This record gives sequence, C-alpha cells and structure tokens, in this order.
Amino acid sequence: MVYVQTLVNGIVLGALYACLAVGFSLVWGVLNVINMLHGSVIIFGGYLTFFAWHSYGIHPLFALPVVAAFMFLIGYVTQLLMINRVIDQPVLTTLTLTFGLDLILYNFMTVYYTATPRRVTLDLGALDLFGIAVPVDRVFGMVLALALTGLLYLVLRRSRIGRAIVAVRMDSAAAALMGIKVDRIYAITFGIGALMAGATGAIFAMVYPVTTNLSGTYLGKAFVVCVIGGLGSVPGALAGGIVLGIVESFAGQFFGPQHALTVGFLLMLILLVVKPTGLTGIKGYE
Amino acid sequence: MAEPLLSIENLSAGYGDIRVLWDISLAVQAGEITCIVGSNGAGKSTLLRTISGLVPANSGRIMFDGANIANMPPDRILATGIVHVPEGRRLFRGLSVRDNLLLGAYLRKDDTAVKRDLDYVFTLFPILQERWKQDATTLSGGEQQMCAIGRGIMSKPKLLMIDELSLGLAPRLVERLGEALLEINRTTGITILLVEQDVITAFEIARHGLIIETGRVSKTGTTEALSGDPAIRQAYLGV
Ligand SMILES: Nc1ncnc2c1ncn2[C@@H]1O[C@H](COP(=O)(O)OP(=O)(O)O)[C@@H](O)[C@H]1O
Ligand SMILES: [Mg+2]
Repeated sequence: MVYVQTLVNGIVLGALYACLAVGFSLVWGVLNVINMLHGSVIIFGGYLTFFAWHSYGIHPLFALPVVAAFMFLIGYVTQLLMINRVIDQPVLTTLTLTFGLDLILYNFMTVYYTATPRRVTLDLGALDLFGIAVPVDRVFGMVLALALTGLLYLVLRRSRIGRAIVAVRMDSAAAALMGIKVDRIYAITFGIGALMAGATGAIFAMVYPVTTNLSGTYLGKAFVVCVIGGLGSVPGALAGGIVLGIVESFAGQFFGPQHALTVGFLLMLILLVVKPTGLTGIKGYE
Repeated sequence: MAEPLLSIENLSAGYGDIRVLWDISLAVQAGEITCIVGSNGAGKSTLLRTISGLVPANSGRIMFDGANIANMPPDRILATGIVHVPEGRRLFRGLSVRDNLLLGAYLRKDDTAVKRDLDYVFTLFPILQERWKQDATTLSGGEQQMCAIGRGIMSKPKLLMIDELSLGLAPRLVERLGEALLEINRTTGITILLVEQDVITAFEIARHGLIIETGRVSKTGTTEALSGDPAIRQAYLGV
C-alpha cells in the first residue's frame, strides 16, 4: 500500500513536471534555444500569483490566465527584440543571452521580493481514496497542469498557428516559402514557452513555496524531462514528466527526499549515454 | 511580344561573400512553361531562392507583374503570386498530406477557393486523396513530388517555380509528373518555370529554355532551337 501511495504521489508530481517542462521543450525544439530564463519565469509567475492572493485576495485560478497572458507578452517581445537578433548564431550564443537575461530577472526578484519562501495556502485538506491520501491542492494543481498541457497539444495540432509552429520546427526555410513569417513564429513560440512557465508558476504557488532559490532547480528539472521525453513534443514532455515524478517519488521513499533530485539527474546522465534520443524515442513535433 | 510575367535584369546574388549569380537577365512569358537547365552547382537553385526571397539580391531587378520584388520578404513575394517548390520536395515531417497541402494556403483567406483548389489537387493526383491522413514524408518519392507540387498549387500561383522535378525519380514517374505540369498549365493557365538537370525531360515539357553555366545565362531560345544546337547537343544531350 505504501508503494501505491508513492506511485500516486509520483504521478501527481509528474503532471506538474510535465507542465513545468513543456514550454522549455517547445522552445528548445522549435528555436534550438536552451532557455535559461525558464526557471526564473516560473518563479516570477509564482510571485505575481502569490501577491495577487496575499494583497488583493485574488484566487490563483483567476490570477493564472492573467499571469500567463502577461508572460506571453514578455516572452514574445523578448524574442522579437533580442533573441531573434542572434537566433542564427550557435546555440551557445543564445544560451549566453538567455543566461544573462536570467541573471537580471533573478537578481531583480531576489532584491525586490527577498528570498523568503512564500506560499498560497488554500487549506483544502486531503482526499482519501481507498486509504491513499492526496492533498486536494495538489490534485487541483495536477488537473490544471494536465489541462494546460492538453490545451497546448490541441493548439499545436489543430490551429493554423500550431501548424505553422510545427512547420518552422521541421524546416524553417520551407516554412518561409509557405509565407510563414519565421521570426514571428519564433516570437510566438517563445511567448508560449513563457506563458507555460508563468502558468506553471501560478500552479506551483499553491503547492510549493515561492522563492528564487528554486529557479535553478526548476530549470534543471525541465532539462531532465526533455532528456527523458525528447525535445519539442507535448506527449514526450508528459511522458518525461511522469517518469521523473515517479522516479523522484520512489527515490525519496528509499533514499530520503534530500536525494530525490540527485537521482533524477543521475537518470538523465544515464539516459544521455544510453539513449540520447530520449526514453520515449519521440522525435515528435507536437 | 507581350510584356513578360517575370523579367530579371542584371541580377547578382550569393551567400555572404560568395557570389554565385553574375549579371543574370532573363524573361518568362505569361502562360508558358520555361525551363532552366545547367549542370550541378551552376546556380539554378540559388536563382530560384533569390526570386522567392530566401537569398538576398546584391544588385539588379526582379520585375514581376510590373513591380520590382527583389529583396522583398518571402511572404510578400508569395503574396504576389510567385510560388517556389524547393529542391528535394521539403515536405513537413510529422504533418499529414492534407496538413502539408493546407500549409501551402497559409496566407490565403478565401476559404471556399482553398477548398476548391484542394479538390483540384486531389483530382490531379488522386493518390494524395487516398493518402491524405498519412505523414507526408512517408510517401514514395514520386508521391512526395506530387504533394510538393500540390502544396505549391494551394498557394495560388501565377508563377510556379519547380526545382528539380525529376530528381531521384524513375522515368515513368517523371513522365507522369511532366504530363501533370502540362495539364496544370493548360487548364489553369499558371505560368511554370522548371529547373532541371535532366535536359531531355526539361526540353520535352518546356517551350522556352535557358542555359545557366557558372552563374551566368549562356544561351536562351525555344527548346526546339536549343535541342538543335550542336554545342548543347554535345554538352547536355550526350549526342
Ligand atoms: N547555402 C549555401 N551557402 C554557400 N554556398 C552555397 C549554398 N548553397 C549553394 N551554394 C553554392 O552555390 C553554388 C550554386 O549552387 P546551386 O544554386 O545549388 O546550384 P544548382 O542548383 O545549379 O545545382 C554552388 O557552388 C554551391 O556550392
Ligand atoms: Mg539545385
């Protein structure tokens, strides 16, 4: 029974990880940019959500769409005005640029908000399912995370913009011949990455403490999920997230929670050596 | 003679410091099929890329339908009616045949006409209708070329430029595709600019021809006259 509990915890955690990583994965897959900003944008979204709740009593559920839209805008403009200028340079150049932007955002938040952990406490209690306890706020977070990830999948599969993003991912020159403005699609994609990060921040604010100390951890998790699930694919991120969630959950059980993160990274290293295309082998596009 | 649909005047272009096209001048008459032939590396693909805006022009003019389109962004050039079917088909992996075709119509807002053009492509190449759900890059080479041409038609071209129609295809398929081009030209009046390494095929399909050698136009004329030219017969037709 204790293993079932661990498994359930892992799946709930995994859904959150999928949502955390899917935007990072999309940006990496489509733009070939390793977005070092991702973790800090999650924290930023968390802060905005926390202060909306703390100062104005706005429920995170209502803050989430506003935070997400705001992050989209920031992401869109950042890509259009800055990253697009160096998008044709080697990946190290764009990585350095996003790393620099991350330092700015990170330090701004640390100075402005201080590193004191904060959290939205909804006090929703726990569900009891046949002896397995699941905190309601986590289930709520999981449902939101899955809904957002699913929505992104649909947008990419079904919409005109989604088809354009996939086309740019597969062959940007051929996409330009379709009349697709590639730099706009880059900006929209980066905007979507930031949107998902902001939304993740809003969800995490209900479940985890919000503190800049965690931005590197979140970035690392996004990295691991991509390596497990493959790049630029929503199903891949979902699979990668769930696998990581379950692995961490069991690792916490057996070796203690302080080692859960290490085990996640070890898994990534092993995979990089054994199966560099990712566990799922999905080279996908969705 | 009527005003040509496309006329290029003293065009030079290349990649960075590498110049590939030197002082190219040519004209393509409306409603006709014209071919550009030349050996590997002559600059044929670069010429098409410069016309469609993927490669910047260093100097010269590209007049299309009365306006200079040189160095316009690709989406605006496409909107004027120049469509480029690139070498190697370049279909989008992971997308169905239908989604690939619809990407050709990405800029279009005339939904009913798009639907009609999709039906036209499906009557032209029925195999695409049978396979509409399939990942386009899993089609056979000939079917992929059909899909690439169909995607081009979905962009509603006035001028359809096709780079290496026959590349890697069996002669029977090349013949089938050549017939399709003739039919497209006859029934829709779309002007076609065909780039080919296979000179015999090109001369069979096109009425006018241009020969490009190391980035320069070396000869022009009707394909009938060109195939009678002893120098060309020796260099390109192997007789
Ligand atoms: N992307 C590129 N960057 C630099 N040089 C290129 C590029 N593409 C083609 N070239 C060069 O331009 C010349 C013409 O190539 P291309 O236009 O592809 O010829 P063709 O289509 O007639 O075979 C060749 O010398 C080729 O090496
Ligand atoms: Mg070529």
